[in-house]
Amino acid sequence: MAEDVQPSRNEPHVAEPLTDRRKGGIIITAVALVLVLATFYVSSPTVPRVMAILVAAVGVGVIAGWVPIRAPQDFYGGLALVLLSTFAIIASAELPGQRGFAFGPGTAPRLFAIILAALGLAITLTGVFAAGPRIEKYKIRGPALVIIGISLFAALIRPFGLIIATYLAFMVSITGSKEMRWVESAIAAAAMTLGCVLLFVYLLNLPFQLWPPSNALQLFFNQFADLFKNVFLLLQKFVPGLK
Amino acid sequence: MSELLSNLALGFGVAFSPMNVLFCLLGALVGTLVGVLPGIGTVATIAMLLPITFGLPPVGALIMLAGIYYGAQYGGSTTSVLVNIPGEATSVVTCLDGHQMARQGRAGAALAIAAIGSFFAGCVATVLVAALGAPLTSLALLFGPAEYFSLMVLGLIFAVVLAKGSVLKAIAMVMAGLLMSMVGSDLETGAGRMTFDIAELADGIGFTNIAMGVFGFAEIIRNLELPSESRDIVSSKVTGLMPTRKDLIDASGAIARGTLLGSLLGILPGGGAVIASFAAYTFEKRISKDPSKFGKGAIEGVAAPESANNAAAQTAFIPLLTLGIPPNAVMALMVGAMTIHGIVPGPQVMTKQPELFWGMIASMWIGNLMLVVINLPLVGVWVTLLRVPYRLLFPSIIVFCCIGIYSINNAPTDVMISAMYGVVGYWLIKHDFEAAPMLLGFVLGPLMEENLRRAMLIARGDATVFFTRPISGGLLAVAIVLLILAVLPMIRKRREEVFVE
Repeated sequence: MAEDVQPSRNEPHVAEPLTDRRKGGIIITAVALVLVLATFYVSSPTVPRVMAILVAAVGVGVIAGWVPIRAPQDFYGGLALVLLSTFAIIASAELPGQRGFAFGPGTAPRLFAIILAALGLAITLTGVFAAGPRIEKYKIRGPALVIIGISLFAALIRPFGLIIATYLAFMVSITGSKEMRWVESAIAAAAMTLGCVLLFVYLLNLPFQLWPPSNALQLFFNQFADLFKNVFLLLQKFVPGLK
Repeated sequence: MSELLSNLALGFGVAFSPMNVLFCLLGALVGTLVGVLPGIGTVATIAMLLPITFGLPPVGALIMLAGIYYGAQYGGSTTSVLVNIPGEATSVVTCLDGHQMARQGRAGAALAIAAIGSFFAGCVATVLVAALGAPLTSLALLFGPAEYFSLMVLGLIFAVVLAKGSVLKAIAMVMAGLLMSMVGSDLETGAGRMTFDIAELADGIGFTNIAMGVFGFAEIIRNLELPSESRDIVSSKVTGLMPTRKDLIDASGAIARGTLLGSLLGILPGGGAVIASFAAYTFEKRISKDPSKFGKGAIEGVAAPESANNAAAQTAFIPLLTLGIPPNAVMALMVGAMTIHGIVPGPQVMTKQPELFWGMIASMWIGNLMLVVINLPLVGVWVTLLRVPYRLLFPSIIVFCCIGIYSINNAPTDVMISAMYGVVGYWLIKHDFEAAPMLLGFVLGPLMEENLRRAMLIARGDATVFFTRPISGGLLAVAIVLLILAVLPMIRKRREEVFVE
């Protein structure tokens, strides 16, 4: 990756367009507020709550335009790391800490999370004081289609078998490229599917279901039923009164 | 000396069994096949191909992995020479003169000298690994938990210092990796940590999932948004594979110097192979009588970095096999693979499983031989492969990765976790964070925590033990000095220059 030319840190500071700032600030504030809410469900909430409230305040400051952001990459990157460590502290809040000389299961996660928060803060500060490159625009279409293709594979592989899952995942993810051509893609997908079947099933002898069994649809929907059940169980912990 | 020879003999006995030679050949072949594809680096290649080794016996699997590793390295150089797109950081410098040679119709000579240089470097480095293995292992036995912890800190600092870009951001990435490694059951008490009682997370986040996500999927998503590349494939047929006598004479010095430099830098933890190829190129240019010919197709400019990166790639096994500490992201993947086979990398491997240890070392040499044997006749195949347009290549890579991830545990959730890490990796690229330190932190996390906890327990909660024990203190002192040097502005500037060139 060394081939990318290092962005020069000395470029004159270009003011960030208003929309970018709004978007960034709103996302940061929203995530921070969710984390503030989450602290009400754990027994030792003070540290993460203070961290989350501070980040939320910074987010509001960003929306209002009070924070001079000279290097958006670093500024938002650092804040995201602070949020990640806040989340980790909340997630490990119930774990017992140090007992005598012995570390408890919660000691190391909290220790590393706090160090990460400090580093994130430092990165955020460099984003305020040192000029740096803008964040390249996120593309939505291509990445989304690729991720949908992968998810489709995950959803189809159990109930529908290797052949259908591979073919469909190929066809969906290839639409992520703007240069895609239908006929060519359909042929390439078939060739790739055949190649994978030969390699994984016949050469490597891995136990794959090739074609969908007769109860494929039922298996397919059962997966989602399981997923919803798990999500519901998780929600039950956080939302009181949900039965 | 005689012990060394008998050990090597044992190793070759293992590695030369027909099955293992076949695994090695297969590994080198598929490694090159994937490594040749532009935009896929060594780490991504190994991450993609890991699953196909899981069904093999441990020795065979590791031998195949080592083959994949060398294949991927060499495949990257082939792409550099033929298309001027470096597959990975280590072959960036090979592009400079290699592609020029190809344009002058000497692609064959460039590829051949790269293979010969790599083979020579591989031979020397194999002997070095074998020779240093035993003494370093006995050193490792002197290490207590405090020393191990400090050594890992040093290794991580090395990785951070040698990474390009901001040191601060690289350290933050290491921390993020450490934190992610704590998800799952606690080593000592078995308490679920940060799992939210989700059964799939009880064993932690699979490390192949992370590697495949941030190196495979994220890179693909990223490449999609770049303007469709105009590949400058050498159109003329690649002929005249054998380098001339003059080429060989010109290159021999460069190969020897590159090998030496690479072997030394490879032992150091942290991206040794990248630094080695850059350093070797710069060194050749500096001592050359006619520096102006570099960048215009000088054969030394191909020979030196190729030998150096191969030597470094191989000596990087030394810290892994003797101390159990992966010095870079590729070795981190090796640790993952070994753990899946129930092998804990470290000094005990050599004493408890000598046939595995020496077999792997011997297979390194065989792997390098394979590269020469398969690559020279197959250049034509690689050229054809390079003509496949990216729009067809990327979905193939995606489904291949999906099947690979799924086949490890037969778990669709693993595929989903990878997809999520693909998004994370895309975000990291957008914010100029590097994923390699994160992966290294993730792999070292459990080991570091275990040793930290043990050291603190033995020292009765006294954290100064890391500084008061001589070896541990010394290692930490080196780490601190390195860190200070790295953040000093003057040196940082020099470091950037090296990478920009």
